This record gives sequence, structure tokens and C-alpha cells, in this order.
Amino acid sequence: MDLVRHLRYFTVVAEELHFGNAAIRLGMAQPPLSQRIKRLEEELGVRLFDRSSRQVRLTEAGRLLLGEAREIVARVDRLHELVRHGEGAVLKIGVPPDLAAAVIAGLVEGFRASDPEVRLAPAEIWTADQVGALAEGLIDVGVVRHPVSAPGLRFGQVLVQPQGVLLASGDPLAGSGEVHLADLAGRELLMPPREGEPGMHAEVLAECRRHGYVPAQVHEGAGLGLVLAGVAVAFGPRVEQPGLAWRPLLGSPLVCRVSTAWRTATAAVTGFSAVAVQTLKERAGMMDEGAAPVRRVSRRPGMLA
Amino acid sequence: MGVPELEALFRAAGVRGRLFAADIDTGREVAYGADEPMPTASMFKVPLLVEFCRQADAGLLDPRIRVTVTAAERVSGPTGISSMLDDVTISLRDLAYLMIAVSDNTSADTLLARIGRDAINAMLDGFGLAGTRVVHSCRETNASMAEDAGHGWPFLDSEDLARLRVLDPARTNRSTPRELAGLLGLIWRDEAASAESCAWMRGVLNLQVWPHRLASGFPYDDVGVSGKTGTLPTLRSEAGVVEYPDGGRYAVAVSTRSFSSALNQPRADAVIGTAARMAVDHLRR
Repeated sequence: MDLVRHLRYFTVVAEELHFGNAAIRLGMAQPPLSQRIKRLEEELGVRLFDRSSRQVRLTEAGRLLLGEAREIVARVDRLHELVRHGEGAVLKIGVPPDLAAAVIAGLVEGFRASDPEVRLAPAEIWTADQVGALAEGLIDVGVVRHPVSAPGLRFGQVLVQPQGVLLASGDPLAGSGEVHLADLAGRELLMPPREGEPGMHAEVLAECRRHGYVPAQVHEGAGLGLVLAGVAVAFGPRVEQPGLAWRPLLGSPLVCRVSTAWRTATAAVTGFSAVAVQTLKERAGMMDEGAAPVRRVSRRPGMLA
Repeated sequence: MGVPELEALFRAAGVRGRLFAADIDTGREVAYGADEPMPTASMFKVPLLVEFCRQADAGLLDPRIRVTVTAAERVSGPTGISSMLDDVTISLRDLAYLMIAVSDNTSADTLLARIGRDAINAMLDGFGLAGTRVVHSCRETNASMAEDAGHGWPFLDSEDLARLRVLDPARTNRSTPRELAGLLGLIWRDEAASAESCAWMRGVLNLQVWPHRLASGFPYDDVGVSGKTGTLPTLRSEAGVVEYPDGGRYAVAVSTRSFSSALNQPRADAVIGTAARMAVDHLRR
């Protein structure tokens, strides 16, 4: 029997918990699908589904096997993907949705020049979702924000981008040359979704707290509408946009760290990684990661008096 | 930042202000009435500190030597030995610390008697700071106020204030915002005395206790503020150095005269910090 194909059927039925729907997804009739699941159960010597009630349920054994089955199917898919890459097909990449359009354009353009055989298919995906997409083989390589980690994940060179603050142009702080995090007291903060960028979320908020800024409310989103409206401030690289003012942060306390990430290194993945480093440096103002600045706390007699 | 902005800032705080700020390493500067002579009040203790170090460097005095300041010698003042009741035996360098950290008048006069005004003024001439002069001790300053007003502290009436010689730069210890900031720049660049002495002076100036003037403009854990205040009726000033986390360091001197003679004017104190922040922010653009 073709075990991998049977495992794929199993994962789809397990997701749908309905043989009819699963058959539609797989583009086949229901009776052969039921037959194949039975053959798989015979092969493995366990019952995977409980069909006694009107609803299909996973048995305990089915639940145990599902994760492994998915992993096997995904790995086989990646195997095929690797072969296709060798033939010069498509490189699927993930980039954070809030990466500037010019940067994405630069990635596509730069990669086309370096590897014209392979077409780049970018998708906007937050870091946490990229980690999942890489594991499932939905993308081949991603551009992720650090800190991030997952077993089996490999990273390219980490680049850093000092963050400034984006304010409504009418904000009193827009008139100063640079802004300290503590100056932002009383303002609400707009950040990328916590679910999508958990590492960066935690790191930025911790740094804000240490520097005297505890936002009353943290809004989540990728657009700058709330900043334009004067409802919130946001952190990011310099942006020139009417109605917005960008100011550097005194002491550069916030740094965005970005790198490429992949699980299987192919020539296309490595090539893209090199292009990404170059593009992010040239178009997004990112720099080689230097030594982290030593955090200094000034001594003032009143602090302990 | 323009002149009108500083002007509006000072006016809103109820004072007439003068300011000088310079990047200690590049020399870039912001000047606003920076060459106008002003009474230094307690800021005269900075040139005294510098000459104390130079004499120690030259072996003319031992900063560790202990002296006894008797209760009878005490000069009036609200802090330090001036406010204590009994004889104090203390090293010269600890007197210098008290003179800067809490602006102790008794410590200052004890050191001034040993260092000598001529020596201080000669040192200032050597650095080209001819607009800065030390002519009176704290005791003489206090006495002249009582003499001019015909009564003791406080001095709140405009007739009294108009008569005070200590408020006339021509007749008291004096300097300009530019020269005071310049002297601090010398200390921060290790040019005022030996490198070791300059490092010690920076440490002592960093221990000043007052948070309400220069430091109030930089309410950040990662920004260092050192300095020396100067206060007389209607006169509030501070000269100091602001150090940024990226290594940028700025010598700033701000002098204000308030329109009102009220003693408690938090806004007049705070505008020294606000104006300094505005100037430093300008230098960093």
C-alpha cells in the first residue's frame, strides 16, 4: 500500500471529522475514501475513528498518530518541493505584513536578478505564523523578527534596525528632536499583533517599562491609522507620511532584529537569504548586529535619599 | 530651536533667562544672552573646586589633611556644616565634597581661606575666563545683604532687592553662562587639572543633591546630570553637564532672575531644566 497517501487521507478526515467533506476536499468519492481508511486501520492494527455514533470521532490511537502522520506528510511534501526547486520552480517566502512595500519589492527584484530561474512567491505572514508555515512546508524561507525559536529552525545573518517613535504631527513631542521613552507617558501604544509577534511584543513592552513608559492601552494592528488619529503612538523605522512625525528615541533603547529563517537549506533558500540581507540593509536601513549597548543607569543622589 | 522659543519658555515661568549650552566634544553651541555678566552666587564654588584640585596636583596642599572647623567659625547656611551645632574635624577634600554636593557655605569659606581668591582668579585668567571673578566669601556675601537691606533674611521687597550688591555682577562674584559652561567643559575634558583630579571633580559634581533645576529637564534613568546650583533672592541658576547614553555630553549654564521675589517658585526652578533640555535637543539634531 502507498502508506504516505493513506496517511494524507487520514489527516484530512481527521481535520473534517466527516467522510463526505473530506472526500470533497480530496477530490474523490466517499466509498473509496472509507475503504482506504479501513485498509490503513488494518495495516496499523488499530481503529483510528469511532464511527459508532452519528458523528465521526478520533479514537485515542487516532489522536496519538495524527501528529506523526502530519509530520510525515509534510516531510514528503517538502521532499517533492525540494525536487521541484532543483528544476527551478517557485520559492515561497513569508514576510511580516508591516514590512514596507518597497522592501518587499526590493526582495523580489533582487532575487530575480540573482536567480532568474526561480520565481519568488511572497506571502505576508507574521513571525509566529511563519514558524508554523515553515514547519508545514507552506513556505520555504521567511523573514522573521527575533527573538524567535523553534526546533529545526535555521537562521540567516541577524540585522538590526533602531526604532524611532511615530507620532501624530500635532503631538507636542513632534516638535522635539528626539524623544525619550519616558516622555511617552500617558500615550497609548500601537503594536503588531501579540499573537503574530510574541517575542518582539514582550521585548518591546519590557524595555518600555524599564525606561519609564507603561502604555495605558496597547492596540494591535499593522496600519498606522490610530497614530494618524492621535490615538496612539507606534515604534518603527523612519516614515515620511503627511500627518505623521517620526522622531528617534533617545538612547536607542528599542532595536528591531530581523533575519531569514528556514528548515531545509536549498540553493534557492541560501540565495534568497543573501539577497534579503543586502536588500534589508539598502532599503530598510538595517545594519549588522553590533554589540548590544550597555544599559546605563545614571546615579542621582535623590534616588536613594 | 529659536530665540523666540526660549524667550517664551522663560517668560511663561515668570523669569528672565540667560543660557549657554555646548557639545563638550564638538564645540557646537547654543547661546542666549550667554555673555551677559551675572552674579554666580554659589556657583563660585566650582572655580574654587578647580583651584583646590590644581593646588593639590601641584603638591601645595594635601587634600587628605584634616582640619577642625569650630562652631564659632561657622558661616550661616541651610546645609552641611553650616547647619551643624558642634566642632567638626574633616579632611579638605570632604569639605570640597560638602561644598559642592549640598552647597555648604562653611566648607566653601574654610577652603577659600586656604586657596586664596587671587590664586583662583589667576587660574581663571590662565584659562581665558576673565569674566569670571571670585571676590567675596560666603560670609562676606551674607553680611553685605544684611548691610544693604538694613535687616536680615528674607529679602522680599523690591526696594531691598534693588540695594543688594550681591545682585549686581559688577560688585560681587560673577561670571557668564558661557564661561561657567566653559569651565565645566575643561573639567569634563580633563583639561582643568590632572586627569585624576578632573575625574574626582566630575564625581563630586555628580553627587549634587538638588533635583529641581537642571536635572528636572532630563528625568531619565539613562541620562546623567551633574552640576552646581546658585541661588540668591530672585536669582536661580545652575551650571552642569548632561551625559547621554550614546556618549554625547553637553555643558550647560542657565541663569534666571524671577519677576516675583517669592522664595518658592517651582516653575522658575524647573524652567532651568526645560530650557537646558531644549538646547541640548537642538545640539543633537
